[in-house]
Amino acid sequence: MAFSRRSLLMGAGSAVPVIAITGCGGSGGGGGGTVTFLVDNNPNNIAASESLIAAFNESQTDYEFTMETRPGGTEGDNLVKTRLSTQDMPDAFSYNSGSLFQAIRPVQNLLDLSDQPWVDRLAESFPDSVSVDGKVYGVPHGGSNSGGVWYHKPTYEELGLEVPLTWDDFIANAEAAKSAGKHGVIQSYGETYTSQFLVLADFHNVATANPDFAEQYTANEVGFADDPTAFRSFEHVEQITKEGLVNEDYVSTTLEQALAYLATGEGAHYPFFASGISEIEANHPDQLEDVGFFALPGDDAATNGLTVWLPNGIYIPGTAENPEAAKAFLAFVASAEGLAAMAEGAQPTGPYMLTDVPLPDDVPTAIRELQTYFDTEGATTPALEFVSPVKGPNLENILIELGTGSIDAKTAAQRYDQDVEKQAQQLGLEGW
Amino acid sequence: MRNRIRVNVVSALTLILFVIVFVVPFLLVLVNAVKDRQESSQLNLALPTSFHLVENLREVFQARNYMLVTAMVNSTILTVASVTGMVIVAAMVGFVLQRRASRINGFVNAAVLMGLIVPPAVVPTIWVLQSLGLFKTLPGLILVEITFGISFCVLLFRAFMATVPRELDEAAIIDGCGPLRLFFQVILPLLKPTVVTVIVVQSVAVFNDFVHPLYFLPGEENATVQLTLYNFMSQYSTQWNLLFMNILLITIPPLIVFLFFNRQIVAGMTSGAVKG
Repeated sequence: MAFSRRSLLMGAGSAVPVIAITGCGGSGGGGGGTVTFLVDNNPNNIAASESLIAAFNESQTDYEFTMETRPGGTEGDNLVKTRLSTQDMPDAFSYNSGSLFQAIRPVQNLLDLSDQPWVDRLAESFPDSVSVDGKVYGVPHGGSNSGGVWYHKPTYEELGLEVPLTWDDFIANAEAAKSAGKHGVIQSYGETYTSQFLVLADFHNVATANPDFAEQYTANEVGFADDPTAFRSFEHVEQITKEGLVNEDYVSTTLEQALAYLATGEGAHYPFFASGISEIEANHPDQLEDVGFFALPGDDAATNGLTVWLPNGIYIPGTAENPEAAKAFLAFVASAEGLAAMAEGAQPTGPYMLTDVPLPDDVPTAIRELQTYFDTEGATTPALEFVSPVKGPNLENILIELGTGSIDAKTAAQRYDQDVEKQAQQLGLEGW
Repeated sequence: MRNRIRVNVVSALTLILFVIVFVVPFLLVLVNAVKDRQESSQLNLALPTSFHLVENLREVFQARNYMLVTAMVNSTILTVASVTGMVIVAAMVGFVLQRRASRINGFVNAAVLMGLIVPPAVVPTIWVLQSLGLFKTLPGLILVEITFGISFCVLLFRAFMATVPRELDEAAIIDGCGPLRLFFQVILPLLKPTVVTVIVVQSVAVFNDFVHPLYFLPGEENATVQLTLYNFMSQYSTQWNLLFMNILLITIPPLIVFLFFNRQIVAGMTSGAVKG
């Protein structure tokens, strides 16, 4: 008995001061002369933001910026919405542009930045993705990204192939690679979102066949099942697995494994983001110049072009404690010095969204070659998610069902059109 | 003879199952934690061709300005404080609820069940914390963790209290024992099996909690260990070697606790099982 009492007193005695100490430490955060920049936890974004913040802090003496990270994906979406609705958002934060930007209620939650000097320098395709009713709310966070097909250059040279401009040429190339004992097209359903590229990166072809597709799609006038070009992309997914062009383990392959197949030449093609370059650089630095990138080809060689993913925007919440500091920071992000500082931390994955800043000289060839598409008129189209708020949450799952042969292309396209319906109704769009 | 063979087959199968379920994943973590990034991106069980133990360790510790160290301190305080709170409060509630029949018992029981059933809502909880001035503070998160764990603990304690003879209380009261002394000196020691169970179950739950610290305790200086995993893992890119090294490091503290308390834990579980 005596022993248990002493140990109890000791336990109670040590617990109290611990709570008291943390009470002081915890409440010290926030306010003061420091301003926080919230960024998602992609290692490249972190590296770029670290050197960006260091450069900004050095360039002026009024404000001291620090960085905070958040998860990406669905968890990140929830976190951003939570922190906005609890008025706890740091003074500057990076978040998707396009439809996800529309979902965080910019008019209520964000500061209108239309009067900022950098607005006039934005590339034509960007402002729409961070605007509501003609008011601009964000600055582009770094370079753009593109969706298309990675290919193995030595394989192409060995087999005497050329970069395909039509889907049929692409299939012919994949078949040639397959007969040479390589995977024709790499797929990696182990990472579910990678299943979507044959559809999402095909949007340039859809939009050139029907320039009003995005508008009609938002208004529920067309769907993937009834637009012939849009439906073609579902057929493409079916075709490559049915004809056995994919790697045998495609159901469980992860992104890292897929990029390893590509870099080592075990596979010839891999449809993915151009930003895959940073993974290739980290995991296969010696093969960096062995890989190339081309736009996903459609039916017509004359309209060949690239589907572009616009960079994240950096926004200022309406509840910002220090909006002037945040505005100065955003102006720096849009400046040539700011972009150069970011490129020092992590190289851009595509051309910038500011008309007067070129890419640095030391980016890999595959990325520099993307500039050709940007310089050709009409050869770039923003991805559908940037021009229409309608994007169903289950596209990746439906495409995996299609790719593994559980359903056919028609059913898959119809299911996706149904999937989209719920989301459009939630957004309260007209015509649904 | 046949019996013995059957026993051997069963124990061999158990052993194989144990190896598959526990040893293989741990080996995967261990092997990949000492590889370099290129090799670990293959994500296999092959032995590393070169050892990078020290570099990976250093990189994991240095990441984001020694975030892991802050996180370890925070997580330790969080786990110890919330589990202590849960044990004391839940044991008291279980004691009173089981011993004293009163009109509010039905209401309390309903509230406890509700705590198990009703899903937590993040935004309103943050509003409550903000109005109390506890948002973004460790005490605030400790209260949240206690709240989420307490229903389960009360159920355990109340069930176990039924097995403690009422005569013990009566004898203590006749000897002149006050209510507080009765609880702390007579009842709580008898509840030890349940206390151990609660400590084990809840400290694992709190230590491994990811969602609550993410929402209720934002900020770099407030990180807990599970949040440090996101330093090396993101939507489009993952540094597997550093991720596994981090996992290895944050598995060590609970492992040490289990090694030290192993005997009590097993004793507590089994005695609880027989009596309960």
